Amino acid sequence: MVKEIERAGIPVVHICTVVPISLTVGANRIVPAVAIPHPLGNPALDANEEKNLRRKIVLKSLKALTAEVEGQTVFED
Amino acid sequence: MRLELGKIFIKDVQFADTTKVEKGILYINKNEMINELSGNEHIKSIEIELAHPGEEVRITPVKDVIEPRVKVEGPGGIFPGVLSKVDTVGSGRTHALKNVAVVTAGKIVGFQEGIIDMTGPGADYTPFSKLHNVVVIAEPIDGLKQYDHEAAVRMIGFKAAAYLGKIAKDLTPDEVKVYETEPLLESVKKYPDLPKVGYVYMLQTQGLLHDTYVYGVDAKKIVPTLLYPTEIMDGAIISGNCVSACDKNPTYVHLNNGIIEDLYEKHGKEINFVGVIITNENVYLADKERSSNWTAKLCKYLGLDGVIVSQEGFGNPDTDLIMNCKKIENEGVKTVIVTDEYAGRDGASQSLADADPKADAVVTNGNANETIVLPPMKRIIGTTEYVDVIAGGFAGSLREDGSIEVEIQAITGATNETGFVTLSAKGF
Repeated sequence: MVKEIERAGIPVVHICTVVPISLTVGANRIVPAVAIPHPLGNPALDANEEKNLRRKIVLKSLKALTAEVEGQTVFED
Repeated sequence: MRLELGKIFIKDVQFADTTKVEKGILYINKNEMINELSGNEHIKSIEIELAHPGEEVRITPVKDVIEPRVKVEGPGGIFPGVLSKVDTVGSGRTHALKNVAVVTAGKIVGFQEGIIDMTGPGADYTPFSKLHNVVVIAEPIDGLKQYDHEAAVRMIGFKAAAYLGKIAKDLTPDEVKVYETEPLLESVKKYPDLPKVGYVYMLQTQGLLHDTYVYGVDAKKIVPTLLYPTEIMDGAIISGNCVSACDKNPTYVHLNNGIIEDLYEKHGKEINFVGVIITNENVYLADKERSSNWTAKLCKYLGLDGVIVSQEGFGNPDTDLIMNCKKIENEGVKTVIVTDEYAGRDGASQSLADADPKADAVVTNGNANETIVLPPMKRIIGTTEYVDVIAGGFAGSLREDGSIEVEIQAITGATNETGFVTLSAKGF
């Protein structure tokens, strides 16, 4: 899906836990997620902390979306 | 470490007044066995049924399959840290009732348990259709959480296997097989010219009822470590998995791991089989990285020339498999990986979710997406209520006449990634 949307000319950020798979399938902008069963959250945190975590991932992804990349890039912290 | 495994071959299983083995027939006092298994506060009732090879019987939903074993000599007991105290097992003598298994059945998750057909085309796909199965169906109390339910059924299965296994303690085995692994330095000295081969045993540990336990420890919490292969034959590794039935390792497979068996067969002749490295398949990327780093490190540290790596399950564990392969190869140790495929019903899709050019020696155990029609059976042990939603099932899987069209994914053990299957590929 990532590749098909990009083929249509729209940049994509792939938020993904297993970064190596994302690299294998060919995503260009990759933001690491938390864990496979809860990519955008963490049930071990309380509600406020979790909201903060989720906000960070979304903000990082928006930043990644606007960044110029040369080839596959993983947006670590 | 040296283990004598005494095998008692069972020809038939019947209910009777006394639980015993006589002339190769296992007799079970059903009420006594049910009493033995009772007492769990989470379980309302227990029923036991028998299913024999060739009978028109379908068992579903199947959770675990367990071989009855008993410790005869040497430290510890079967299923250490779980049923017995946490002593180190794998030495002395163990007896096993062969051709018999305890099968735990009944709904826990529903969509993540399997099917065993005792006859027909489905029976060819499951190694457990060839066994006399003692099926334990444990009904949960109302409102029980899935985790508590799984834990209760898991323990009842082991208790059932131990109950039957203990009869074997005083029996004279029909066959005794000896397995021995020497301490590494001695073994290397003994076989200086043989290539040193290890086995990297990947355990399904994704959580959410996809769990494996090692000496009672939840294996998602371990770092890769070493085991003598005979420890595994005494139940050091057990299954707590509710996950796609075709390629999980039921406890029976851990006890009878064919890769370990075959490596021992060649030990001291073609290779020096030095031991087993167990590792996990976790859901955090850092865990995947750490565990695969450690398997590679241990392979190098042991001075191995080659390893066999087997996977359990599919999907994101494909990445654990490829990471293990790549990192071990990068240490200069040759790898063969053992897996299965999800290549779509036509077999045309990519087989694994991850890949690497280093994975150039691969053994597959079949395409789990292949579909099969299972004809109706005269007797159902359990219920076929969940067949439409079982992993490998789809809307309309269960037909009005009782036949079932499913992917072989739904059949317990169909594409087992230790090769505990009959499926194979041949070049023409």
